Amino acid sequence: MDYWAGYGSIALFLLVALIFGLITIILPKVLKLLGLVVRKPNAVKYTTYECGMETIGPSWVQFNFRYYIFALLFLVFDVLVVFLYPWAVSLRGGGWAAFTAMAVFIAVLLTGFLYAWKKGALEWR
Amino acid sequence: MSVGLEQYLLLSAVLFTIGLVGALSKRNAIIVLMCIEIMLNAVNLTLVAFYRYGGLDITGMVFALFVMLVAAAEVALGLAIVFSLYRSRETVDLAEMDMMKW
Amino acid sequence: MNWWLLSPEITLVAFAVIIIFLDLAIQRKGILAATSVIGLLVAMVFAVGLWDKTGVTALNGMLVIDRFSLFFQMFFPGVAALVVLGSTDYASRFSRFKGEYYALILLATTGMMFLASTGELISIYVSLELMSLSLYALTGFLRDPKSGEAGLKYLLLGAVASAVLLYGLALTFGITGTTHLAGIAAAVKGMGNAGENPALLMAIAFIIAGFGFKIASVPFQMWVPDVYEGAPTPITAFLSVASKAAGFAVLVRVFTVAFLSPGWLSQDWAMLFAVLSAVTMTLGNIVALMQTNIKRLLGYSSIAHAGYIMLGLAAIGSAGGGGLGQNGILFYLAAYGITNLGAFIAIIAVSHRLDSDLISDYAGMSQRSPLLAAALALGLISLTGLPVSAGFWAKIYIFNSAVQEGFLWLVVIALLNSVIAAYYYLRIVKAMYVEEPTSKESVASSTPVKVALVVCSIGVLYVGLLPGAVLRLIEAASILL
Repeated sequence: MDYWAGYGSIALFLLVALIFGLITIILPKVLKLLGLVVRKPNAVKYTTYECGMETIGPSWVQFNFRYYIFALLFLVFDVLVVFLYPWAVSLRGGGWAAFTAMAVFIAVLLTGFLYAWKKGALEWR
Repeated sequence: MSVGLEQYLLLSAVLFTIGLVGALSKRNAIIVLMCIEIMLNAVNLTLVAFYRYGGLDITGMVFALFVMLVAAAEVALGLAIVFSLYRSRETVDLAEMDMMKW
Repeated sequence: MNWWLLSPEITLVAFAVIIIFLDLAIQRKGILAATSVIGLLVAMVFAVGLWDKTGVTALNGMLVIDRFSLFFQMFFPGVAALVVLGSTDYASRFSRFKGEYYALILLATTGMMFLASTGELISIYVSLELMSLSLYALTGFLRDPKSGEAGLKYLLLGAVASAVLLYGLALTFGITGTTHLAGIAAAVKGMGNAGENPALLMAIAFIIAGFGFKIASVPFQMWVPDVYEGAPTPITAFLSVASKAAGFAVLVRVFTVAFLSPGWLSQDWAMLFAVLSAVTMTLGNIVALMQTNIKRLLGYSSIAHAGYIMLGLAAIGSAGGGGLGQNGILFYLAAYGITNLGAFIAIIAVSHRLDSDLISDYAGMSQRSPLLAAALALGLISLTGLPVSAGFWAKIYIFNSAVQEGFLWLVVIALLNSVIAAYYYLRIVKAMYVEEPTSKESVASSTPVKVALVVCSIGVLYVGLLPGAVLRLIEAASILL
């Protein structure tokens, strides 16, 4: 029994989520039955968005794959930056060795960036 | 007993299995790449759980960091190959990759 | 921290960057191949220079510089240099991205060199991925859809395999509490019998599965024929020799350093490798019999050779230590490497001219190009394991190591397999020398290709006639830290 006690909070969370969901579904029906709200549909109410722009054409279109090239470049550089955080935290203890290591790392990154730039990967062609 | 190492290991084993089954059974190359990501993240969960509950030094965290980095590089390369293939084949369906039989 | 210990790898990375920028700056692309060969040779020289500094660790034990790793730090650049020489003709097919081609070969080589010298799980994973990612890109390098398909298959299956390996490494780390192989060995040593350690066995099984993919062992061999057929032929040569050798190097290191004791553990994995070895060589050889495409045939033959090399791993586990099995693996890798490279470089030259990989097109090759035919025939004879060639001594040595450990049944299977293999290897030799050519047009090749062919052929004959010198080198190299 003790073993499952840790799951109590999860069960409680699930219960609350369930009850909240049910309330949001049931409450409008109850209010309608009581005659507190009136159903008055019109064309504007049934559009996809009640506010903002109308969509033009189907929303399942294929994007130009150039977006992906930018996304890939961003992904690589973005994830590499993850190393900067532990480095920055421990810089005080690491001394010059840590500084040099990161300088080399950033130099390598910069090489990659220069390469991508020079190859024209950053241009919209 | 509360949620501990055992539960995290169980969760990551389940995630890993989901990823593995997906990677081996899905036909869309992009989805297979996503399943591989699930597998790698399951491993990360294992590593971080060992770090948190194993009473070990920071190695587990550093390991997970390296895995994240390599996973990003892997998925970038994977997507690049998928796109170049898509341009010549107009499909990402692995069942249609049959110029050579598997 | 002594940076000289890392000089071979640093050299290669520096040269890779230089090549990429040279590619942006210059128009004459021939310089790129020359630069990469120079870089590889410089790295080799640095590795030779380190030969006396054995038994040192670098970067807090992440890298181990011992004779074993130095052997591979000479082996991989050598293989890569021959591949670069062999691909000078072929590279004219790449309309763009010539610089990247050579740079990626250098980076893959760097990954292999790190892989052979890592003493720590994180660096094993990172260097494995450095090697693999470069090879995925190289496999899909050609513009034709077949190459792209091969690249995609290799990447997807390879990524799954490395995820499985990674899970094994993570479990090992969790069980033993350290990522250093020596620390793992100390932690594993005191463990009780198999029934008490299911997690450890599972971790080891995952690790074998992950590396099994790299060395193309059954049941993780399904990528081999497709990738070998679709990849640019020089890269096929590189995959079949260097990436397989890297897989074996790291397997030998992980299993002899980390998982050797207690005795029940090494007996367990020895038997596992023995069974895998028997299945792998039998499947590779039997399927190779039916192939009509020479690249696919050599793909299946390389699966079979992975089976032979695994005999050495079984011997290591059974003996509870390096010794004969380890020497056998190193010798076999060296002999197989130079033999297979020779055969592949000949095939590169032929397939570049004929634009075909069909075995039937090799008919009468001895009249169309005596040099290519002779080099290919020598390679095939050595792959068969006939006397006076490198393959003969390699087989004798590794079979002997298994017999010494009581794997007589396995060696009988291996011998039967060698007989099957002789049929399909010698069939090609017969086609080249006995059958009439389909066309009289001669098959020419450029000077760098000829140089590479001659180097490989001399190597095969040298090891075949005078194996003593290489054996002494390998016995010196087989001391692991």
